[in-house]
Amino acid sequence: MRFYNPLNVVNRLYDEEILAKLSFLKNIKLFEGIGKRQQIHVLESLQERTYLKGETIFTQGDIGRALFIVFSGKVALSRLDPVTQKTDVIAEVHPGEFFGEMALLEEMPRTATAYALEDTKVFMLFKIKMEALLFARPKIGVVIAAQLAKILSARLRAMLEKPSQD
Amino acid sequence: MAAEIQQPKKNYSQFILPAFVAAAVIYFIVLAKAAVFPFILAAALAYVLSPIIKYFEVRGIKRSYAVIGLYVGAGALFFTVVYLLFHFLSFDLESLQQSWPAYADRLQKFVINLNAKMVASYPALASLNLEAKLNHLLEAAPQFILSLLPALSLLFVVPFITFFMLLGGSGIIDYLVDNLPSRHAEIIYHIASRIDSSLGNYLRGILTEAFIIFLIAFTGLLVMDLNYASVIAILIGISSLVPYLGAIVGVVVSSIVAYLQFGSIVPIIKIVVFFTGIRFFDDWFLQPYIMKKAVELNPAIILLALMAGLEIGGIWGVLFSIPVTCVIKEILHIALELQATEFRWKPKPEPTRISIPYT
Repeated sequence: MRFYNPLNVVNRLYDEEILAKLSFLKNIKLFEGIGKRQQIHVLESLQERTYLKGETIFTQGDIGRALFIVFSGKVALSRLDPVTQKTDVIAEVHPGEFFGEMALLEEMPRTATAYALEDTKVFMLFKIKMEALLFARPKIGVVIAAQLAKILSARLRAMLEKPSQD
Repeated sequence: MAAEIQQPKKNYSQFILPAFVAAAVIYFIVLAKAAVFPFILAAALAYVLSPIIKYFEVRGIKRSYAVIGLYVGAGALFFTVVYLLFHFLSFDLESLQQSWPAYADRLQKFVINLNAKMVASYPALASLNLEAKLNHLLEAAPQFILSLLPALSLLFVVPFITFFMLLGGSGIIDYLVDNLPSRHAEIIYHIASRIDSSLGNYLRGILTEAFIIFLIAFTGLLVMDLNYASVIAILIGISSLVPYLGAIVGVVVSSIVAYLQFGSIVPIIKIVVFFTGIRFFDDWFLQPYIMKKAVELNPAIILLALMAGLEIGGIWGVLFSIPVTCVIKEILHIALELQATEFRWKPKPEPTRISIPYT
């Protein structure tokens, strides 16, 4: 005999997908240090989109306006060498990783092309939303800005250390 | 590993179908204006309400439950407010019903007196025939009120359509963006988020502002012991949605009521001072605080927008003129920026350069 469980009603109110997205954001390096309750405001600022396999996300030379976080699927970043006119894949981005963060700092041309290697769901954080977070919710904005600085510093260091490893 | 990114060749025949569909939609809107109008109102209402739904949605509540909850909550609030208003209004309306003949008589006498004095001083004014015009106005007033009744059906139709729009969310927009070339998605969402932040801030700001002005006006008029304070305050609150109109309506209506009620000039002076105070409070405190993130519009542009709105769409045109101007201004800004960045109208922006190396 099945008993009526009032907790089921409460559970039915909740959207599992949203809860999964919130727990996904917890593990993103860019949002490290942001409290659980404040993650909600981050999720509010993100735009979601699914790119089909082979679809171009942005092209080298386009003006960058958003940072992309891969929720599911896989993205390839490729760069066209202006001298040899050859395109090389420089990186593959997996779930939990992000790319295009320079767009949050400067609206400059993209330095690579991004396209989906499989059906990929991404979250976009636009510069205007990031600025709104910085001013309206400084606690969140400061964390993101500090993480962004750390990430850029790490990328720069990796670039400088690369020739010595070769 | 090498990957070839092919740039598609420019083929203008791809635009034939979208252009045909867009033209058909515009033709349909022009043809069925009256039928489309409630949908435009519903879309505007859904847009204003959507942040509330999103508030619950990002906290894990399913969208459908959030929408139903909002409607139940709004319904309860609406009935409470209507009940309270009728409680206040019933006194007001009852006294208006009793004293209306005396008021109308006094108003008519006032205008006749004024007209006689003016005509005596300036005979040219006799051709204006103010007396006959006033009589015509008094006769036409009930007819005008009756003509507003069909608009009441919008009160039921619009929330009904809004309900389904809220349930669907941004589904239609996402569907359209999904079917456009993927590499343009970033710029489309960028434009949408820019318009959304300026328009959203404006709408939420002006609604808050109108509500605060309603509260201040209601309290002030009650303190001054003016009849029909609740009706006048509601009128002021609604007219505050149109810039500058709130204070003007407040002064004119309250002064007429004060003259009819007290029959002296002192209460009118009090009312003028009170509404001038509200106007300055609005300009110096409310607007800088509430509207700080909204689009800034020059007063001359606001006036042009209001007049154009009145000519295009009557009273609804006036109500929508400022939000539409906000959208147009933001689109113009974005268009100029895109011209500069995408079509190189201006020199390419220089990236930040630092001479000291990474240490």
